[in-house]
Amino acid sequence: MPTSKNIKDTEKFVSMVAEKQGWKLHPKKSFLRMLYEGLMTNWNRYGYYSCPCRDASGNRDEDKDIICPCDYCAPDQEEYGHCYCGLYLTKEFANTRKIPRYIPERRPEGKY
Amino acid sequence: MTATLESLEYIQEGKKDIGKSVTVYALSTCGFCRSALQFLRNSDCKFQYVYVDKIPYETKQKVKEELQEKYEKRVVFPYLVIDDSEILVGFVEEDWKKTLGL
Repeated sequence: MPTSKNIKDTEKFVSMVAEKQGWKLHPKKSFLRMLYEGLMTNWNRYGYYSCPCRDASGNRDEDKDIICPCDYCAPDQEEYGHCYCGLYLTKEFANTRKIPRYIPERRPEGKY
Repeated sequence: MTATLESLEYIQEGKKDIGKSVTVYALSTCGFCRSALQFLRNSDCKFQYVYVDKIPYETKQKVKEELQEKYEKRVVFPYLVIDDSEILVGFVEEDWKKTLGL
């Protein structure tokens, strides 16, 4: 079991998730890179890929709904075409060539 | 009580005084937070920020409680505080431009 993840590991993880689910990724390389770095940092901090755009508790049970891809990804994609971070896009959204924007937090209040 | 908020080590940036105090609570891991800070840097306005995810757990919890209590707005990131009274959550560039007058 590796004790840390690097950018390549993280990129591979994200690509595998996207491929399996039939999702596309944020179209801007620089933005994507920030998310890879954030996910990598969180894995190396907590031992799991906690969402980079939410503050994690570090307790896996408490954070399980925000482990990437999070529980809110599907409803957010349905409503906005992409997840909270702008990482995973539906094919339909990607085809519009729009850039993901900040969307409201769907995680129930008090869960942090 | 805002003792924890006051005790944080904020990083100061920018030169241009826009006549408003600008404080950002951000996550170092988040794309929208980092875009927001870059937007402020590009405008060169004076602002201060702190990466909340880099704060030790106990202190971080107090920071979030104090923010929520003081500003009565759910703490999500980036969390922009203007003049210690107006809050914007999330980064939508047009909203930040308009609210900050940039």
